[in-house]
Amino acid sequence: MTDAPPLSREEFQQLCDYLYRRTGMVFTETKRYYVERRVHERMSATASLTFPSYFARLRSNAHAELEHFINAFTVNETYFYREDHQLACLTNDLLVERTRSKKAGSSIRIWSVPCSTGEEPYSIALWLLENWPLVDDYEIEILGSDIDTQVLAHAQEGIFGKRALMRLSPHLVARYFSPYQEDQWKILDELRDSVRFSVVNLVERNDTRRQGRFDVIFCRNVLIYFDDASRRIAAENLYENLLPGGFICLGHTESMSRISPLFEVRRFSDAIVYQRPAGGGDHE
Amino acid sequence: MNNLKIILIVDDASLVRLYYRSILEPAGFRVMEALNGVEALEKLQSVTVDLLIVDINMPLMDGLTMLETLRQKELRIASTPALITSTESAEKDFAAARAAGANHYLVKPIDRDALVQFARMLCGEPL
Repeated sequence: MTDAPPLSREEFQQLCDYLYRRTGMVFTETKRYYVERRVHERMSATASLTFPSYFARLRSNAHAELEHFINAFTVNETYFYREDHQLACLTNDLLVERTRSKKAGSSIRIWSVPCSTGEEPYSIALWLLENWPLVDDYEIEILGSDIDTQVLAHAQEGIFGKRALMRLSPHLVARYFSPYQEDQWKILDELRDSVRFSVVNLVERNDTRRQGRFDVIFCRNVLIYFDDASRRIAAENLYENLLPGGFICLGHTESMSRISPLFEVRRFSDAIVYQRPAGGGDHE
Repeated sequence: MNNLKIILIVDDASLVRLYYRSILEPAGFRVMEALNGVEALEKLQSVTVDLLIVDINMPLMDGLTMLETLRQKELRIASTPALITSTESAEKDFAAARAAGANHYLVKPIDRDALVQFARMLCGEPL
């Protein structure tokens, strides 16, 4: 680490504006320590001596610096079966409702965004295998997306540490993982192959549109990092990514009702979920 | 351990292969996998299996075409019992599977117990 000087107020503001425009994430002076630490890390990694020279590099996206920069700012706290009441809701209620109007053999699309290092989309696959007796009756497609390309590479590898597996029973770990290196486990190939991954920025409509429409979206604990305007854009994009009647699950502290009027609130016994109304037209 | 019956699961969906495997292995079978008919026929050139579990709708070569091809091969390969699995449940689908050389047909979703039971039966194991 270099002993880089603190950013001036203007520099700090400039950087936060830039970060906001590129990702929708909001940082203010109260998060100065968090922001500065990451900027200094990136300055050190790129041998930039001053902030202006680093910022120029970032804006010209030399050597994909923008990607590294965004990666440094995303939070990747996740583990298998996190908030599993929503997974219970998926098999007890959401899929029951979604499959009511579907023919056997038709597709069911589930999106985990942001998926970080893959624990969430793999949890969905694992949960379905263990808890949904119709798993062979539909073409299940699970997509994991994130803005951070490094975590996606990790997700695709499917290697996890103790912490990520802490909520899984030893029986499940033995059944679906094989020991890799010390305190590391590799997920079974078939489970790994059952999830696809893509790079997506939730506030970029071109990105979100390309992913197609889903029956169920898990979008947990990301909207809290956005400000009102980006939150609304993300919510509208997500609405478009849902099939009519499709569901979206947020983190337990988040509420869609505060963000957008487009969705209906559905209370199931295991979780509160938001739904694109069955007759809901496209949002324009 | 050497006398475990070997089952080859032919299905393009990795979750489905894993699902069947997670049922059949604890029931005492050795399980192999193929993603489509072409891959299955290739595997059968080098390994003799006791049972094929074959999905109908697959890319490259569907299950029925695969069975028809299989039944034309030399006896070691041609005589492998085959269980067809599909979401289609019309009489014409059953008839087409029989004509292609299927020994039995199960409609998805397949119950865990039923899968083990039919696998045992078709492998000639005691039920």
